[in-house]
Amino acid sequence: MSDALQSLSRFLPELILMGALALVIVADLVTQRRPLKDSTNLLNGITLAGLIAALVTSWQALGVGEPQSLFASMLADDGLLGVLRPIFVLTSIGVLLLSMRSKELEGVRLGEMLALLLTVTAALMWMAGSVNLVMIYLSLETVSVASYLMVGYLSSDRLSNEASLKYILFGAVSTGAMLFGLSLLYGMTGTLDLYGVRAALAEGTFGPGLLFVVILIAAGIGFKIAAAPFHFWCPDVYTGAPTPVTAFLSVGPKAAGFAILIRFFYLGMAEPAGGGAIAPVGGADWQMLLMILAVITMTLGNVAALLQTNVKRLLAYSSIAHAGTMLMAACVLSVDGVQAIAAYLAIYLFMNLGAFAVVILAHRETGSFEIGSYAGFWKRSPLLTLAMVIFLFSLMGIPPFAGFLAKWYVFAAVISADLGWLAVIGVLNAAVAAFYYIKVLRVMVIDQETGPTPPLALSRLDVGLLVVLVVPNLLGLLFWGSLDRVTEYSQRLLDLG
Amino acid sequence: MIPLEHYLYISAALFSLGVFGVLTRRNAVNVLMSIELIFNSANINLVAFSRFVEGALGGQVFALLVIVIAACEAAVALAIVMSLYRVVKHVNLDDAAELKG
Amino acid sequence: MESLGVAAIFYGTAAFMLASAFYVVLGRNLVHCAFALMGTFFGVAILYVYLGADFLAGAQVVIYVGGVLTLMVFGVMLTNRIYNLNLSSGAIQVVPGALSAGLIFALLVWIIQSVDWGAMDSGDPGPTSESIGRLLVGDYLLPFEIASVLLLIALMGAAMLVRRRRGSS
Repeated sequence: MSDALQSLSRFLPELILMGALALVIVADLVTQRRPLKDSTNLLNGITLAGLIAALVTSWQALGVGEPQSLFASMLADDGLLGVLRPIFVLTSIGVLLLSMRSKELEGVRLGEMLALLLTVTAALMWMAGSVNLVMIYLSLETVSVASYLMVGYLSSDRLSNEASLKYILFGAVSTGAMLFGLSLLYGMTGTLDLYGVRAALAEGTFGPGLLFVVILIAAGIGFKIAAAPFHFWCPDVYTGAPTPVTAFLSVGPKAAGFAILIRFFYLGMAEPAGGGAIAPVGGADWQMLLMILAVITMTLGNVAALLQTNVKRLLAYSSIAHAGTMLMAACVLSVDGVQAIAAYLAIYLFMNLGAFAVVILAHRETGSFEIGSYAGFWKRSPLLTLAMVIFLFSLMGIPPFAGFLAKWYVFAAVISADLGWLAVIGVLNAAVAAFYYIKVLRVMVIDQETGPTPPLALSRLDVGLLVVLVVPNLLGLLFWGSLDRVTEYSQRLLDLG
Repeated sequence: MIPLEHYLYISAALFSLGVFGVLTRRNAVNVLMSIELIFNSANINLVAFSRFVEGALGGQVFALLVIVIAACEAAVALAIVMSLYRVVKHVNLDDAAELKG
Repeated sequence: MESLGVAAIFYGTAAFMLASAFYVVLGRNLVHCAFALMGTFFGVAILYVYLGADFLAGAQVVIYVGGVLTLMVFGVMLTNRIYNLNLSSGAIQVVPGALSAGLIFALLVWIIQSVDWGAMDSGDPGPTSESIGRLLVGDYLLPFEIASVLLLIALMGAAMLVRRRRGSS
């Protein structure tokens, strides 16, 4: 009992989110009969206040104290969780702001959506901290169930429903396979604790059987990060879901999925080899498995994105490709890879949410997600076009923008691990990616619209939101020092040097 | 008594049947049933290993939580099926595909 | 002689369970499939009894048979008009599906045989309810709490989805 009480003191952001969840549910019930606008404003306010409080507390907790395990070795409160917490909360704040401006969610009661958003934010933190097989599975399912509901939120909209059904069926199969793999791993090692798994695996070799188990577990993780060949749900779900939810799915669960990936492989399937490096144990070559996944994911994502005409689908495939790039960093077998992933996620958050913000604002005016409908945007709204140019250049990884920094971290880590060939494939992929991002820009800047071209109306809130998202992308290089300092904490994994 | 391996064979058979159902069925509710088979097969493993390998109750607690999760997932999935049915009036995956990969 | 009977019941249960699982994935009538699924769930509960997991066996019957299965039957009934007797579900890609499932089964059997599980029967643990209860408020306190959050949002979300909204038909 004293252990639980002690753990609570390092559990403040999660507790705040749960408190806000309770408030939102009560406030939603109380204001059920009030006008929609009043109720929505109140609920948005509570949610925003809860998220900001969680952001402040998670920022204060970052880098304080030594890594330690919480709640009888269920969670690890270490540098990786510390760095990811603010990323999760920032994502949710961004999504909350986007949902206020989304046309799809207009006139809809948002009480449940906000409750789901708060729950899923906390669940992402549980996911990122899990060091026990029970916690890994339970937190992953909590995130999944909340995501299914968010995707299907527009229950009278056919696309939203279909996307949600596909998502839950595909998700349940993937996590079911993962659960079966976890149960076999439990049998092989006799323990549910990741560190116990590591110790048991170090004692003997399990050969191909273990590899099969690892593939089953990778199915569940691959589903969460949308890595090929577990990505089939991704384009359909991204297209069918309300766009703010799509923006959330492309960042939050992906980040937490990478945290689970790092914890499972770096802590459970490998032992420290000194100097931040790790050595796989148990005789399953999971480094090769991750490299294969990285190459397939990148290539498939980029090539398929070339063919898309719907901007949400294009961003879906682009997010698959970005998952592939981050997977390259996971093949590095040292804490450099962990830092590369953390830095990539921190930057990816701003560039991807930015691109989705433009999509949502454009949809308000044009009512369409087709790339063709963006023709003549340069004339209609130079500000929106300029913002999109910056976000897409950043996603491409072009030098003065922050995206370059993200790519730099990954490639530096990959090259320092003597995986030159992997880096070459990564660079080739980045070149392919430039094509489809530029295709969008070409339509916006060069193509002329045939019909009338009224200027797009942006409210003051829209402009503020765009500026907040543009600044980190534009001035990323100036913040390199602080980014490096912050993400360096992510190297301090519990019980790994 | 019954050796551990026999429990594992049963669960392996159940898992394979679940996979077969997922691959071949086209009715959403039927796919859900197949998924329940997969969850149950994993649970048999967990409980069997809990007794024969760990010698403690960790696996049983895990299995209990899995039952809870499976119930949640089934409830949500069926709610989605209902909601979709109200919109399109059928639940076969093939015809319900305005979204196609 | 007694142990022979115990073993006979075990293998009988296993055979019955797998047979009903076969019907779940092959049967053409959805309502029959749902009832076959009940057979599988009961079979699994009996395996739990054999493993000495009495509490889980009870939970399995109450939650799966009493809850999940009822939901499934409702799902089948409500998404097919009652007078529509053709509750069949077409199956496609049976041969590739059977091949992959067979391959997975063969692989699993090989793994089960090749891995040294270090199995030793720890004996019947006796009544487990108290120990499981203690674990849930002790070492597994956090998963227990998270499960309750999960139940809360699943309940809320499912109710939200099926509730008729204003403005929708």
